[in-house]
Amino acid sequence: MSGPLVIGIPSKGRLMEQTLETFEQAGLPIRRVGSDRGYAGTMAHIDHVEVAFLSASEIAFYVKSGRVHLGITGEDLVRENIANAEARVTFLRALGFGQANVVVAVPACWIDVSVMADLERIAADFSRAHGRHLRVATKYMNLTRRYFAQRGVWRYRIVESLGATEGTPAAGTAEIVVDITSTGATLAANHLKVLQDGLILASQACLVASKAATWGPRACEARNEIVARLAAAAG
Amino acid sequence: MAAETARKFEALENQAAGIMGAFAEAGYERVAPAILQPAGIYLDAIGEELRQRTYVFTDPDGEELCLRPDLTVPACRLYLEREPEATVAARLSYNGSAFRFQPHGADEKRPREFRQAGLECFNATDPEAAECEVLTLVLKAVKRSGLESYRLRFGDLGLFKALIESIEMPARWRRRLAQAFWRSGEFHELLRQFCEQSRPVPPGLPEDLIRSIDPEDPQAAAAKLVAYLAERNIPEVGVRSLDEIAAHLVEVAADKRAEPLAPEAASLIEAYVGIAAPPRAAGARIADLVARHGVDLGPALDRFRQRLDLLGRAGVDLSKAEFSAEFGRTLEYYTGFVFEIELPGEGRRGRIAGGGRYDGLARMVGAPRDVPAVGAAIHTERLLAIVEELKA
Repeated sequence: MSGPLVIGIPSKGRLMEQTLETFEQAGLPIRRVGSDRGYAGTMAHIDHVEVAFLSASEIAFYVKSGRVHLGITGEDLVRENIANAEARVTFLRALGFGQANVVVAVPACWIDVSVMADLERIAADFSRAHGRHLRVATKYMNLTRRYFAQRGVWRYRIVESLGATEGTPAAGTAEIVVDITSTGATLAANHLKVLQDGLILASQACLVASKAATWGPRACEARNEIVARLAAAAG
Repeated sequence: MAAETARKFEALENQAAGIMGAFAEAGYERVAPAILQPAGIYLDAIGEELRQRTYVFTDPDGEELCLRPDLTVPACRLYLEREPEATVAARLSYNGSAFRFQPHGADEKRPREFRQAGLECFNATDPEAAECEVLTLVLKAVKRSGLESYRLRFGDLGLFKALIESIEMPARWRRRLAQAFWRSGEFHELLRQFCEQSRPVPPGLPEDLIRSIDPEDPQAAAAKLVAYLAERNIPEVGVRSLDEIAAHLVEVAADKRAEPLAPEAASLIEAYVGIAAPPRAAGARIADLVARHGVDLGPALDRFRQRLDLLGRAGVDLSKAEFSAEFGRTLEYYTGFVFEIELPGEGRRGRIAGGGRYDGLARMVGAPRDVPAVGAAIHTERLLAIVEELKA
């Protein structure tokens, strides 16, 4: 037996609009079933596809566990929420929208700090003076840990921040932030600067495939068709 | 992961009875430290690296807690709860669950939940005797569990500290070398930089400002920093003060002008770090090396030898041991003698037990001062699996 392909589509915001637009242009218009607020949808001109409207971070989890075959979500969310992302999902296509950089930023007045290695240099003195480690405010706990480890920065603590991360240094609840930025204006308004080697990830919306899902012939065929049409539309 | 089978549970219990018996006979009081620990204190002590593998969560009150990833920190906290002044000697032992996330998936070989049996000795008067006591007890426990053949690995962070203390260089360089000791790439790079005729201002830092700073005059440096920020309309943000920033700028300025580290001194350090030999031979090589460089390690080398004498007299077969100057531990709280009992060729799984001296840990979790402490823990599941394989 061969089940249909299930694809997770962002359920709100700019990410949803641009996703729907992209599929429309590829000749695969997506419609919500029932009321506008329904969570299921259909994709025209293609057989054996079920559309599930989900939040962008849910999509990452669903792709990881195999509850959807394909998903459209930010690369940042995939890499944040899936340990060993390369082993568990396939990045089929970058979609050219939803661009955002995940960056490491510090107060602009730290003129003695310009690269990641400087953080490790000031960390010990900071711990001595304040009786605790430097704090990094972020919602990207995993991306932060991996990047800091890769750059040889060890003496810090993460404080989870789910909103207004860029305000945490001024509020005194963190010293460093790891956050997404598109223009850098919000960081500058909060008197923060991005470290020279502080770009953790240049993220954008991606079409990703689950390795954990059951891929029957119908699902494979539908996937190939979707990928081909998106590629053709992008030129 | 499935629950332990009844048979394995019983085998572990039997093994633990033997291990804990050995500790109890030596006067170690059995304690049961809390499984749930305050995440903040814990993670400050062990660092973010182990945090990646620690189960951390927030309780309904908003308090951040963790499932203990080891039992040394909980045992240390339990000791401090009883002895807030940390002046009393104590010998504690435990056998309990520890929890670690397995990033590549948990299975029998990489359990996310395992039991550690261990012991911790606080405030013993004779440090070498306490180290010998802890190591011989762990060996006794391992032997009682049925393992006769193993390798011992030794390291000594006290020797390293004595070595860099004995070499002419700015105190802040010693601090940085000690901090980098755990990561060899960074360590070698630092030594290289210290030997250069002049150290350029790191890229991205305000070169003119740093050039204008006199390292002997931190007050003037702070004033220059304030002027620099005012000119550019950069406000002070966050809890790291301008004084701290100025102090770091002074260090950068001082580094720039500092006399380079003598190349012989750097090669002495490199040669020391490269020493790996059976312990007595290693001791002789270290003595040779420092004598050739005209360096005096003070009592550290005597302590090293004294420890070996004690271990030899206690019946520890030192021919099974290898000293490696670079052998530290991934946990940064060790401060002196460190050891590991392993089965070669088994990788991580072969590391059955380990421990060492950690005089700074108690202060990190709230003691008013450093507390002499030495401890060790046995990975009981690994020990059982290996003993059973050897029997089969």
